[in-house]
Amino acid sequence: MEVFKADVAIVGAGGGGLRAAIAVAESDPKLKIALISKVLPMRSHTVAAEGGAAAVTRPDDSLDHHFNDTVGGGDWLCEQDVVEYFVAHAHEEVVQMEHWGCPWSRTEDGHANVRPFGGMKIERTWFAADKTGFHMLHTLFQTSIKYPSIKRFDEHFCVDLVVEDGRVQGAVVIEIATGAFRLIQAKAVIIATGGAGRVFRENTNGGIVTGDGMALAYRHGVPLRDMEFMQYHPTCMPRTGLLFTEACRGEGGFLINKDGYRYLQDYGLGPAEDKPRNKFMELGPRDRVSQAYWHEQKKGRTIEGPFGSVVHLDMRHLGEAKLRERLPQIYELAEEFMGIDPAHAPIPVLPAVHYTMGGILAYGNTASSLPGLYSVGECSSVGIHGANRLGSNSLTELVVFGKVAGVEAAKYAKSVSITNPGAIEKQAESVQARALGIVNQSGGAERIAVLRTEMAKSMESGCGIYRLATDMQATCDKIGELRQRYKKLKVEDQSKVYNTDWLLAIELGYLLDVAETIVHSALKRKESRGSHQRLDGYEQRDDANFLKHTLAYYNGDSPPRIEYGDVKITKSKPGTRAYGAAGVKADEERKKQGAANG
Amino acid sequence: MSNRRPYVRSMDGWWKRDPYFIRYMAREVTAVFVAAYAVLLLVGLVRLGQGEAAFNGWLQYLKTPWMLVFHLIVLAVFCYHTWSWFNIMPKTMPIMFVGGKRVQPGAITGTGLAASVIACLAVLFIVRGMS
Amino acid sequence: MADTEKIIEIQVLRYRPEQDKEPVLQSYKVPFTDDMSVLQGLQYIKDYLDETVSFRWSCRMAICGSCGMMIDGKPKLSCKTFLREYYPQGLRVEALAHMPIERDLIVSVEDFVTKLESIKPYIIPKEPRTLEQGEYLQTPQQRDMYEQFSSCINCMLCYAACPQYGLNPKFTGPGVLALLHRYNADSRDGGQAERLGLGYADEGFWGCTAVGYCSEVCPKGVDPANAINQNKMNSAINYFTRFVTPGGADK
Repeated sequence: MEVFKADVAIVGAGGGGLRAAIAVAESDPKLKIALISKVLPMRSHTVAAEGGAAAVTRPDDSLDHHFNDTVGGGDWLCEQDVVEYFVAHAHEEVVQMEHWGCPWSRTEDGHANVRPFGGMKIERTWFAADKTGFHMLHTLFQTSIKYPSIKRFDEHFCVDLVVEDGRVQGAVVIEIATGAFRLIQAKAVIIATGGAGRVFRENTNGGIVTGDGMALAYRHGVPLRDMEFMQYHPTCMPRTGLLFTEACRGEGGFLINKDGYRYLQDYGLGPAEDKPRNKFMELGPRDRVSQAYWHEQKKGRTIEGPFGSVVHLDMRHLGEAKLRERLPQIYELAEEFMGIDPAHAPIPVLPAVHYTMGGILAYGNTASSLPGLYSVGECSSVGIHGANRLGSNSLTELVVFGKVAGVEAAKYAKSVSITNPGAIEKQAESVQARALGIVNQSGGAERIAVLRTEMAKSMESGCGIYRLATDMQATCDKIGELRQRYKKLKVEDQSKVYNTDWLLAIELGYLLDVAETIVHSALKRKESRGSHQRLDGYEQRDDANFLKHTLAYYNGDSPPRIEYGDVKITKSKPGTRAYGAAGVKADEERKKQGAANG
Repeated sequence: MSNRRPYVRSMDGWWKRDPYFIRYMAREVTAVFVAAYAVLLLVGLVRLGQGEAAFNGWLQYLKTPWMLVFHLIVLAVFCYHTWSWFNIMPKTMPIMFVGGKRVQPGAITGTGLAASVIACLAVLFIVRGMS
Repeated sequence: MADTEKIIEIQVLRYRPEQDKEPVLQSYKVPFTDDMSVLQGLQYIKDYLDETVSFRWSCRMAICGSCGMMIDGKPKLSCKTFLREYYPQGLRVEALAHMPIERDLIVSVEDFVTKLESIKPYIIPKEPRTLEQGEYLQTPQQRDMYEQFSSCINCMLCYAACPQYGLNPKFTGPGVLALLHRYNADSRDGGQAERLGLGYADEGFWGCTAVGYCSEVCPKGVDPANAINQNKMNSAINYFTRFVTPGGADK
């Protein structure tokens, strides 16, 4: 097997992986970096993020506001020290992106413009029209070309990590074009493989978002944290799940039911006003807005469409000129995919799975419990999203913690050396044998697509917007069954060159492992918090028992072992999570109390 | 040994594959006619230098039926050349702003075509005034 | 209820280098509804009819640039081309033209990536600025000068539309030249001189004969033909002035 000797290997070349690679290269140009991606970097799913990246910018905003929006939005399940670091370093990182050429939208006087987003007290979302993720990804990718120490392995699929001497020492990858295996030896490995939205049926995610890195770390004993928290984005295209950014509402779009009524005012987000107001109505947080849809559907006030019940995203009053300028991609999606002109007709939308809040347990410096292993981005749980992510925090997360991961991994790589290369190569050989076994095994009859579809359907019924123990138990059983059936998989394609069938089979294995952590974590959390809402006697948040992180540990063929970890509270005691007029009242009361106490 | 064996497809007959390419080739062919007509005018100039009789002979030659047909063909070809040229013109110019608004490609093409029509009419008018 | 299912015939140009001498068409009958894209048709084939058909895809929303292919001879993104447009006659899908086929609908991208890497596709600052000084100021109009060219999703449809690239693969080609222009036209950038050497070479702007089809097929309105042709004038001026400026001919 061909061996490449790197100092730092990075698996995944989306926003987080690229930012980390640049950080390693800048911290020490002598360090050799292997940047591994199963697609060309510019295909990574960062590309699809639309709305923007949050950073405190305006004089009337403050780090405290950003902190409170994030922690309250996350229903107090955030690591508050990490959030403090995050909000403090957000601005310099989006400015860094600007210096690298990101085409941020501007005000007339040439400064970067900001727009409002859901759950946000003051506008602080930097944006590049409605293609922010696309522009950030391409800016990072093109900038990374400047650094000769970054050696890219494009279209290389990671099949496993190599752990020797109790620490990670490399990764084994398949060169997709030839089917050849390579061992990437490394003193530190950063995982930046993105989320796992593809475990669900209706989702906004690209086909590549299959939880690869999560599953790899998990199988090596690193816990996956808070996996039960899956974010439903409230405004997605029926059937395909394609995303209509929250910026649609930030710019002033309304959500209306079949009576043309702005129903969010019935769910603690009102009163309804004509102009968008931060933290009111359509600018409520994603979990609440998605949950309101669910209630409207139960009340029979949604509109029946060919692909399920929908509500309407109405942007007609914004006018074509503004829509074309601020939301060109949304305009195009509506016109080309649905035949709807959003300046003249409302867009039918429904919630779909969008974001994996949980992920590989990462400490504030992005390190994990496995020495040498770091993680960043959606695959990681560094602790800023809690039980519900605030829109436009995730793009900022990529750059803030991408840099941290790069710097920390570089530091670590310089402090250690490769031990026992013979044993590492031997391990790589057995990884290869296992990966080939998936194709070569005989007698299997299970189809990849069938298993994948059964998984996605089951996850949707068990881990939807609202959850019941009976449904979750059924999904636990189903995933367990599918993991057994996976062993009898039949891979039709026996070739070497671009054998995408083989890769789909390996990905399915990743998906099933991650799915199992999601549903078992959900079943055991007997409360309602953020995006995890139950209807079976646990409708309230229970801080006494569940102000805790869920930790799912790999347990071989058996379901994951679930443990709990403490939540770091620094300055925000868990309070009532309120938006709209109730939110204003709660803020005032908190202030009064603060004044009385202080 | 690698199993890769990238397959390169032939470019034979590429210009017949898409109507867009056929139109492009037609535009390129019109350049031959432009050159041919330039040669014809050059011959006229040489004849003029050879004296009045020679030049009149050239003028007479232009009035033969074959040359009339040739002129009609050339006129049609020139019209196509002009049209296709102004169609591609927006692609050859830097992005322009007039009064803070971006000038649209259609406006550039339209202005070009209008200018050429006006120029033709002006020439026609002057020539008529002279004869 | 979803609208009634119909059946459409999709012909796929197959090429498996380990067994095929040359590409061959294979036909599949696919049930579809009116909202289904060509990509969804291919996914149906891979999921239920023939797992060995290979193609690239990811985002499904015309932004990742993976799924470009020839659909009835035209370069298109399969995720935003719909099966209903080809009903009832059926359709033929092939790998993007002008690039070597690696397998089935997958083409080699190495040439594109190498060229992209060669044009210094990053800001070479005109004047240095620290992070503490905040962002460079750039008016919306200055941004408009390059924004459209920065919208290239690297899908390479323009390469499949460019016969000059097909005839001479050394030609840098529309997409990469558009990105070269993107950086040169950015008010923050001062690297024009470094990049224009490449642009002014024979394989640069002059490799283009203004066919213009690249801009027709671009799914993002980048207009690479414009990026290239507006530079020809500068290139011509540069060609003549370098002989009259002291030391210019050495450049």
